This record gives sequence, structure tokens and C-alpha cells, in this order.
Amino acid sequence: MQGTYDRGTSESFEDEGGLDPREAARLLERTRREARRGLDFRSPGLSLLAAVGVLVGFGAVWLSVRGQHPYKGPTPAGLVVLYAFVLIRIGSVVYAHRRAQAGISGRSVQRRQAEGAALAVALVAVYVVMAALASDGASDGVVYGVYVVTATMLVLGTFGAARSAVREDWHELGVSLAVVLVAAGSAFAGPRGVWLSNGVGLCLVLLGYSAAQAWLLRAARSDA
Amino acid sequence: MTADTLDPLIHVPARLQIVATLAALPDGDALSFTRLQDMIGLTPGNLITHLRKLEEADYLTSEKTGNGPASRTSVALTHRGRAALGIYTETLRGLLKGL
Repeated sequence: MQGTYDRGTSESFEDEGGLDPREAARLLERTRREARRGLDFRSPGLSLLAAVGVLVGFGAVWLSVRGQHPYKGPTPAGLVVLYAFVLIRIGSVVYAHRRAQAGISGRSVQRRQAEGAALAVALVAVYVVMAALASDGASDGVVYGVYVVTATMLVLGTFGAARSAVREDWHELGVSLAVVLVAAGSAFAGPRGVWLSNGVGLCLVLLGYSAAQAWLLRAARSDA
Repeated sequence: MTADTLDPLIHVPARLQIVATLAALPDGDALSFTRLQDMIGLTPGNLITHLRKLEEADYLTSEKTGNGPASRTSVALTHRGRAALGIYTETLRGLLKGL
């Protein structure tokens, strides 16, 4: 039966002995590295895809709002491109995550579900506050420009930073903090510029992350 | 210090791979038999034999869920198994320094 083992099976295999300590150290290191890589959904390709997507998505919205005087908010065409990027990003992450986490069960699965629920609630709260700002008479530039982009990216960045700090994942922590800094700094660019500033800034952060991931993978392979 | 000081249960290529792979999971997580087999590349019979030895030493636990063709076995490293790998790694470091 595939995927199960019977403790009563009578097959017998001799232990492969004679492992030299150096060989054992190499095997241990290689197995650890391959296991970590196999269980991690992140990859340079996925980060590169996100870098291109964020530039195209935010760039499309910027193109749709840059000529607006006064500012009214993204046009349906700009939003279609942005949402297409968001869907592609979610789809690619879910696919890579499912592949990497296939066959894993236990506490971390429940922890991830709780993290996902917390992030969803935080993002919904961003849009509830957006509706409150609009009903309180805040300008379209603040509500549908500076606020919605900045608040969304701040939530995603701080969520990622907290999550990676708990896991002692320092590379991911650096990327998440860079996202927070880009989002906060872009708020000064105004309702039109905030889209372009976030698009370019996040694209650069993700390109740097993708290059660092590729470099680390190559370094690990050359050590093997 | 000699190679004899290394835990003989772990100091076998297949079992070293099994323990190191399971140790890459967060504490409290388990891996299905088929995924472990894919990751290590052992035949089912060989993997079963090594898993049994590790389970007898309380280095890992296994849990079978479901019945019939849909049944699935998951294996997880115990605290004892994780500690044994830690001691093995330290002993190996000491040996390599002395070489």
C-alpha cells in the first residue's frame, strides 16, 4: 500500500556501514540543505515574477491617474491590471506553497492558518477605515490614493516582518522592513506619485531579493 | 575521540538522511511516508526498515490515518531524536577538528 508502512514487514536490509566522519559531515550538510530547499516555497523565480508584476500593476494604475486633475482614483482599466497582478501573485504563491508543503502535517499548518486569518482581518480593516474616511469627507486623493496603497503595503510589510522575526528568517525580515520603508516614504509622493513610487520601489526591493536568493543558491551548490 | 563515539543508530547514510530531513521540519510537524521517500530517494522497503529501527529507539514516531487505499502514514522526529541528532552533530564537529 502506497504511503503506509507495516511494522510487521519482514524485509531485512543490512546497514550500510563504514561512513567516514568527513563523508558523514558532507552528507549531513547536503541533506539539511536539500531538505530546507525542498520544504521552502520561495525561489528567485517567484520573487522575480513578483517584481515584474508589482511594477506592471502599480504602473498601470499610475498611468490611469497621472492626468487626473482633480484626482478621482484608479480607472477600471488600471484596476483590472492591478487585480490581475494580485491574482497571479496569489496563484503562484499558493501553487509553490502547496508543492513545497505536500505531505506535511502538524502544528505549523495550524499556525499558518491562524496567520492567514490575522492578515485577512488586518486587510479588511484597511478597507473599512477607507470607507470611514470616504464617508467622513476625506478627499479622493487621500482615500483612493495615498491611504489605500500605503496602508495596504504597511500591513503586508509589518505582517511579513513580525512573521519572519519569529522564525528568525533574517533575509525575509530585511525584505519586509524594506517594503515598510518604501510604503512609508512613498506616502510623500502624493495621490498620483504614490502608485509609481511604490511600484518602482517594491520592484527594486524584490529584484534585490531575487538576486540574493539566486546568489545564495549558487553559493550553496558550489559548496556541495 | 574516534568514529565509534558517533551514535550508531544515526551513523548510517540512510538513517542520517532520514533524521536530518525530519529535523528540517518545525518542531511538532510530521512528514508523510511518500514525501519522505521522494525527498530521500530510498526504496519503500529500505525506508520502512530504517524507520522501524529509529522508531524502536524512540527517535521518531509514526501515525497511520485512514483505512484502505486512502490510508496514510506520517513520521515525525521526537525530542529524543532531535537531541540525538544534536549530539551526533557536535560529536562529528569534534572529530573533524581532531583530524
